[in-house]
Amino acid sequence: MPESKPGRFSLTRIAALAGITFTGLVRLKAFYFLLLFAFLVIGSSVFMAELTFQQEFQILKDVSLGAMSIFTSLLAIVATAQLIPRDLEDRTIYTILAKPVPRYEYLIGKLTGVLLLLALSILAMSALFLGLLFVREQIVVSATLRSSAGLPAAEVEQAVRTLKASAFNANLLPGIVLIYFKAALLAALTLFVSTFASSNIFTIVVMVFAYLIGHLQATARAYWLQEHGAGWLAHALLGFVALVFPDLQLFNLVDDIVAGTAIPLALFARTAVLGCVYTSVYLFFAWVAFHGKEL
Amino acid sequence: MSDVAVAVNDLTKVFPIPFRRSKVVAVRGLNLEVAPGQVYGLLGPNGSGKSTTLKIILGLVSPSAGTTRIFGRDSREVGSREGVGFLPENPYFYKYLTGEETLFFYGKLCGLRGAALRARTRELLTLVRLEAAKDRPLGGYSKGMLQRIGLAQALVQEPKLVVLDEPTAGVDPEGSREIRDLILDLKRRGITVLLSSHLLAHVQEICDRVGILAHGVLVREGRVDELLAIENQTELVLENVNPEVLAQIRRLLENTATRLVEERQPQTTLESLFLAATNGPPSP
Ligand SMILES: Nc1ncnc2c1ncn2[C@@H]1O[C@H](COP(=O)(O)OP(=O)(O)O)[C@@H](O)[C@H]1O
Ligand SMILES: [Mg+2]
Repeated sequence: MPESKPGRFSLTRIAALAGITFTGLVRLKAFYFLLLFAFLVIGSSVFMAELTFQQEFQILKDVSLGAMSIFTSLLAIVATAQLIPRDLEDRTIYTILAKPVPRYEYLIGKLTGVLLLLALSILAMSALFLGLLFVREQIVVSATLRSSAGLPAAEVEQAVRTLKASAFNANLLPGIVLIYFKAALLAALTLFVSTFASSNIFTIVVMVFAYLIGHLQATARAYWLQEHGAGWLAHALLGFVALVFPDLQLFNLVDDIVAGTAIPLALFARTAVLGCVYTSVYLFFAWVAFHGKEL
Repeated sequence: MSDVAVAVNDLTKVFPIPFRRSKVVAVRGLNLEVAPGQVYGLLGPNGSGKSTTLKIILGLVSPSAGTTRIFGRDSREVGSREGVGFLPENPYFYKYLTGEETLFFYGKLCGLRGAALRARTRELLTLVRLEAAKDRPLGGYSKGMLQRIGLAQALVQEPKLVVLDEPTAGVDPEGSREIRDLILDLKRRGITVLLSSHLLAHVQEICDRVGILAHGVLVREGRVDELLAIENQTELVLENVNPEVLAQIRRLLENTATRLVEERQPQTTLESLFLAATNGPPSP
């Protein structure tokens, strides 16, 4: 007989739902298409610059991190948008929810499946990106050593150290983690939209708008405040916009990373927590919209 | 614990039609009770409200008025579905899963795992005769096989109540026969079955009781033989009768109030004929 009591939170059930969602997503053609495209962009960044070494690394990082950010976001939206509509259309949702599965577990399971998929793709993209960076670094270092034969040893060592610092630095990892948090937040928002959307296309269009507004609103807000000053109404309005459309620019530390500026731990932690809060709030909204939905 | 398996009280369901003023009343003031161990058939033409009623009982759709209960627990409680299995109408499962993986998945949703889950899965695959197909993805299953894996999925946690929406619709007579045999087997094991069908002929031999819905209203309810009996008529079926005996019988009736309504040779049903003629080895 069942070990876990129905109605109570069960990790076994969530794991089963997440596993099935992940397996289904990995079979989507769109997944490979997006991943392949991201790989092409990251790979081609090597050829985009034949300038000085430092600029080459900057361009490689700029293009690769930008590609990772856009493609994981797109993947989060496209993969999540079709989850609930497809289950409804195939009536698999009836067989699942006719079991003693609370609806919030169904939603958590679905989101976890997407998060696994996003983790897998960002790992694959990071491996390619860091691999390329490493190989380029080796090539450039050996070229430097060759061309600087005869110079004083200390000077050569200094040059190599500068080079290495401009290629790989520890800032890359928090930057990549924040790209993941941004994608997680977008997935949760997409899940929410898909609980009441009439079609996948509607969800995707709404989410692309949310994505664009999310990236532009920081600039718009700065401009607004500069032009109109900051009355309480303006603050309330901007706060509302920031809740509905998350400020995605906060998650974008690519410029700092490319420039090699250190990301303070506090900033990283604050952004990560913000990502988790947004993700949980959207998941909660999704539950509010879904728990009484007629199937 | 209640002594009624399923109780439906004054159930009404109204679906608003978006962007129009009008509404669809799918179920109107429905009352019914299913006793434990019974096979209950909800019959009616397409659109009469059968699926809606079943979905409300399973908590998938909320009632506009009235209540439904499963073994005394309100359908709105997640826990009411603890001992319930459901096979929806025309079900599609995840096509990329094999038959075995599908049962593992639904078993885990019911809290089974490890050796118990594997044993239960094996048992069910044998019961619905899909052992040979267990490693094939459902994308390649026939309609009858899907219906059987669907039934196995509904039975995974050994439920006390099984709800089947049109279990024999779209299945060939042989597959339909198999599904009916499985339902009779459930009944023998004391499991309550609530099923729907738009074809009385498909279920009349397995249902203890039926309710007939028309436009969301329960128009008839009762035991199948009672509902079908024409009370003032009696049928005689005679074997090897010669014309002389028949003539005598007719003469005997001449001066009584009894009227000979019809004299005919009993016919087998087309379905039995088909089943007998195609009685080859069953396909997996
Ligand atoms: N989600 C829904 N929205 C609007 N109308 C619905 C919905 N589901 C069912 N109906 C309507 O309710 C009536 C009963 O449908 P249903 O319960 O599916 O009938 P049956 O299963 O007996 O064929 C039909 O007229 C159908 O159009
Ligand atoms: Mg129906």
